[in-house]
Amino acid sequence: MTTQAFLKTSSNLALKLEQVSKNFGALTVLENLNLDIQPGSFVAIVGRSGCGKSTLLRLISGLDQPDTGTVFYDDQIHKRLNGHARVMFQEARLLPWKRVLDNVCLGLCKEKKDRALEALQHVGLESKAQEWPSVLSGGQRQRVALARALVHEPRLLLLDEPLGALDALTRIEMQQLIEKIWLETGFTAILVTHDISEAVTLADRVILLDGGKIDLDVAVDLPRPRHRDHPKWIQLEEEILNRVLNTPES
Amino acid sequence: MNTGSSLPRWITGLTGWVLPVFLIILWAVATEYSWLSSQILPAPIDIVRAAINLTVSGELAKNIAASAERAGWGLLIGGSIGFLLGLFNGLFRIAERFLDTTVQMIRNVPHLALIPLVIIWFGIGEAGKVFLVTLGVFFPIYANTYHGIKTTDPQLIEMGRVYGLNPWQLFSQIIFPGALPSILVGLRYSLGLMWLTLIVAETIATTSGIGQMAMNAREFMQTDVVVLAIMIYALLGKLADTAVHFLESRILQWHPGFRHR
Repeated sequence: MTTQAFLKTSSNLALKLEQVSKNFGALTVLENLNLDIQPGSFVAIVGRSGCGKSTLLRLISGLDQPDTGTVFYDDQIHKRLNGHARVMFQEARLLPWKRVLDNVCLGLCKEKKDRALEALQHVGLESKAQEWPSVLSGGQRQRVALARALVHEPRLLLLDEPLGALDALTRIEMQQLIEKIWLETGFTAILVTHDISEAVTLADRVILLDGGKIDLDVAVDLPRPRHRDHPKWIQLEEEILNRVLNTPES
Repeated sequence: MNTGSSLPRWITGLTGWVLPVFLIILWAVATEYSWLSSQILPAPIDIVRAAINLTVSGELAKNIAASAERAGWGLLIGGSIGFLLGLFNGLFRIAERFLDTTVQMIRNVPHLALIPLVIIWFGIGEAGKVFLVTLGVFFPIYANTYHGIKTTDPQLIEMGRVYGLNPWQLFSQIIFPGALPSILVGLRYSLGLMWLTLIVAETIATTSGIGQMAMNAREFMQTDVVVLAIMIYALLGKLADTAVHFLESRILQWHPGFRHR
């Protein structure tokens, strides 16, 4: 399979957060957070809007710095943006003035066009390589954004609600695609989402954030691909959902 | 949005000329039946004749060349300064704080109000005219470049940083292309002001140019030459606008609003 050759297994990244806090003015968004993420695992972070999950992702990526505490990549202190992590945002954030293929090439040298094309093949969009992003559908744009992230062979992929704006069907397709690519390449993945069923479908471990603290941390020990009618799947989803709904809004 | 898509392209391209041609026919009829005195408005055929005479004598080409040269230099100098200053103030907050007040004050002085001063400084030579055109075209390009840079989507810049772009790549791949539609709007405004300034400048004191040709003709009551000069300005203006259209359709291919023009 060409995809296997393309996505060489690069070593995965171990992530650790130690006593991390972040404030915006008087508002404490994250408070003394400790988190240990195994290399190659798929972790989902869920919670109500404003619970600090996106802030947490920005701290992990290096886009923002914590006020106190430290982020470690493979036991090294991580301060600035670096090449190990790539982010998929809620919006695709494609450059409208670059054709699809050139968007995927962003930040690569010119010789790597072939790799970009392979990445597009991987998400099933090689036929759109020469189109402008404005003619693509929302789901296709997110697939291009995924290809753009994969081309860099990230050791850590951060997903900031990338499927939030898609329709239900496209969403399920994208979930399957992300799962497939993750299984093939084995990068460490952190998914921020407000959709609990998405978290239980994709992640090995679901972390519920509330009021800037970890409220729940459960392992999802289900065979893949996961089916939503599996009794344990239903039970887990309910357990997490009830926890979210029962915690008083902060 | 695109209603004329079923017609061949050359027909849709000609629709804009229907009204001007109709007006010229109306004008020809009006002068033919002497509803209009030829002192007020000469017949279209007289203007064609004037154009032929002036072309044969070489005077028309000489004057158009003189005007175009002034317009070109003014646009080049004023446009470059406006573009660079717009970039500078858009990219660096310190430059903006330092320079913006000055630029805003200068903007509110009508540049044509400087004509007396310009004549004192430069006399009636070329420099004064180029200077006025420079002033005229500077501001639209400055303001639109500045605005284009300032309104670049911050989410795209953030994305660029995450994907490892260095500051030059951020500028050349994200900020500048994002500002281009706005910069081209500025260029189009500038072209309008360029002709306006030139007409005024050339009617004051010159020895060549279309404006001077019109002023001379007025002395001798050659209404046909005056009208010819006005029509040449209209055509040059249309030409400049078409050039910007062409640029837009080439550079902004990616933009849904500019496609298939």
